[in-house]
Amino acid sequence: MNFELTEEQQLIGQSAREFGKEYLDPIAVELDHTGEYPAKIVAKLAGHDFLGLLIPAEVGGAGAGFASYVQVIENLSRSSAAVASIVNNHTIAALAIEQFGSPEQQKHYLPKLAKGETLGALALFESGPTPGVGPDALTAVKHAEGWVLNGKKAYVRNAGVAGVYIVFATADPAVGAKALTAFVVDSKTTGLKIGTPEETMGLKGCPVAEVAFENVVLPETALLGAVNQGQAIAAKLLAIFYVAEAAQTVGIGQAAVEHAAAYAKQRVQFGKPVAVLQAIQTLLAEVATDCHLARLGLQNAALLIEEGKPFEVEAAMIRSFLVRLGSKMLLDTCQVEGGFGYSEFMPLPRLFRDIAGTTLLDAPGDYPDKIIAASIA
Amino acid sequence: MSILTAEQKAIKQAAKEFVAKHIIPVADALDKTCEFHPKVLEAAKESKVFAMAVPKEYGGLDYDALTQALVLEEWGYGCAGIGTTLAASILSMDSVLVAGNDEQKRRYFKPILNSEIGSFGLTEPGAGSDAGAGKTTAIKVGDEYVLNGTKCWITNGGFASVFVIFALTDPAAGMKGLSAFIVERGLPGFTIGTVDHKLGIRSSNTVELLLKDVHIPATNLLGKEGEGMKVAMKTLDMARPAIAALSVGLAQRALDECAKHVMATYTGKNYAGQTLQFKLADMQILVEAARETLHNTMRLRDSGQPFSKESAIAKTFCADVAMQVTTTAVSLMGSYGYTHLGKYMRDSKIMQIYEGTNQIQRLVISRAVLTPAPAPAAAQKAGK
Repeated sequence: MNFELTEEQQLIGQSAREFGKEYLDPIAVELDHTGEYPAKIVAKLAGHDFLGLLIPAEVGGAGAGFASYVQVIENLSRSSAAVASIVNNHTIAALAIEQFGSPEQQKHYLPKLAKGETLGALALFESGPTPGVGPDALTAVKHAEGWVLNGKKAYVRNAGVAGVYIVFATADPAVGAKALTAFVVDSKTTGLKIGTPEETMGLKGCPVAEVAFENVVLPETALLGAVNQGQAIAAKLLAIFYVAEAAQTVGIGQAAVEHAAAYAKQRVQFGKPVAVLQAIQTLLAEVATDCHLARLGLQNAALLIEEGKPFEVEAAMIRSFLVRLGSKMLLDTCQVEGGFGYSEFMPLPRLFRDIAGTTLLDAPGDYPDKIIAASIA
Repeated sequence: MSILTAEQKAIKQAAKEFVAKHIIPVADALDKTCEFHPKVLEAAKESKVFAMAVPKEYGGLDYDALTQALVLEEWGYGCAGIGTTLAASILSMDSVLVAGNDEQKRRYFKPILNSEIGSFGLTEPGAGSDAGAGKTTAIKVGDEYVLNGTKCWITNGGFASVFVIFALTDPAAGMKGLSAFIVERGLPGFTIGTVDHKLGIRSSNTVELLLKDVHIPATNLLGKEGEGMKVAMKTLDMARPAIAALSVGLAQRALDECAKHVMATYTGKNYAGQTLQFKLADMQILVEAARETLHNTMRLRDSGQPFSKESAIAKTFCADVAMQVTTTAVSLMGSYGYTHLGKYMRDSKIMQIYEGTNQIQRLVISRAVLTPAPAPAAAQKAGK
């Protein structure tokens, strides 16, 4: 196993860092205040090919590997994790089509997704404990010419700005999640309705809303993969998504620990910078350690994804690690900055609210453990 | 559940009802607008809650420390921001209780009994954990003191009628020249600077206090010149359990909301698995242990025993519990938690920071741990 980044990975990471410094740092605070979808920034991302990174070159993408992709996400997140969220949610929808779509779906959607002309979104979660079982569960009923969808998806990110949704519905409510079936749904489809945007504490600017389906009629060609294959598709996409999201967490953690360390060096109490106090050093050291180990873990998982090897267990492990320790990175760095770490006039509170979003959103508590435990021979 | 007297139970119940009626319905809206809400104080007037820390001889209710903690827990349960408003007012009163003379107490408690609030001004931009490093001065001129300086992160500062302000009467002596004063609102030169915008407890008011040639009568000095640090430390010993109480309420609220959500979501054959069940159990264990630690500290104080170490332990443990329980609550509920219960996480973070960071508390506690125990009794020495 090679722990060194290739030249390509380093370069692409650097370009994302520069993009962050030039375009994201100046707007990150404002974006957090207004929560308005940053359309101009998304256009800039498209212009820099950041929206088509994982899409093959022959259909207009950059054809980059997953290890390069997480470099981009980590570096964008150091400036604005909200913008990185938009990219991640878009990319996972593109990957769904790239990996499970029919040749027609790929031909139709991938070039537009690669160039950012169309944004993607994943409509997987529901208000119930798992998709396909709650009172609002989205159902797909087969009819002569295709399918009819009814129900609601919850907490869909990029909702309202996406042109295409990867939608999971149960084809048999009696068995719920086991009959989960995936569809590619155009945002303009009659009966698809975007709910009021949810107010989230962080990652503001990446829209989150309910998507309701009222007698949405889809042709057979909208099916993604096979009937009842939805659960397997969702599991694979989620595992990939958790690795990508871990890169967001690590980017935020890195930004926080750098800020806290700089703060500690200039904050004088008891006649000397607080950075010389052991208690402060311990806080900083633990965060830096957790951040470093998380980075190694996610890069390992990313490389497995890139090489087409089994990665689900490693993805679950990095998720489990960050559900436990991701938020702690900000709990501890805020603590280093004391009252300043609690003031919204300073950067850490935004990072606190954002990191919770990257580690706690969509994290059914037992998801990673089940997969990890089952893998131990 | 801890053993309470009938009177304590009744007071706790009344506080619970007050909070359900006047605080819970407005908490989320105030968090969004980041507004301090004087109407809550108006409602509190009827409940006489501000009188709970005022001694009977000054017309107050004089609740014992444990009973005050019960009330503060309920306020923390309703909204830690509004709870902070109450706790910060009591904090300032504690200084007057610690060092004030009869006339000063009468004067300070009068507006409090009328449901006006007090404010405690110690922190400065360069003096946080290092409370003795303040630069605000109080120079005696005739029978007055003239105050100059800036205080920051002062809770209730924009709305308080009465303040306890710490300033150097002998700037050359540093910490030993610190003194405490009563300062009334509206004096010439006494103005509000920046209003802070915070990660949490957003319905509480946190401001900068600007003091420019503020003249106060010499009779406003609390205790003697140079006793400021002692007054501040004694005040904080008394007041820290209030933060512990808010924290317990906050943690209990997050646990209750989490349990409610789990019960509504996981029904029938989609029951909550052991991972979820055990995490809920852990949350309950922590909340219960935190509450008992706090109540024990309060009983020590009520029985006249030393409680400085226990006060630090209660503050640290309860604040850490609030942080952990609220974070777990959000994580167990995923997206629902993040969108609906983020406030509890944001509110909890300050519990580990204000009224002495948990790091400062650990200094206090570790000093106590590292103090040699009293010599063993003679009989034990003989090897019995």
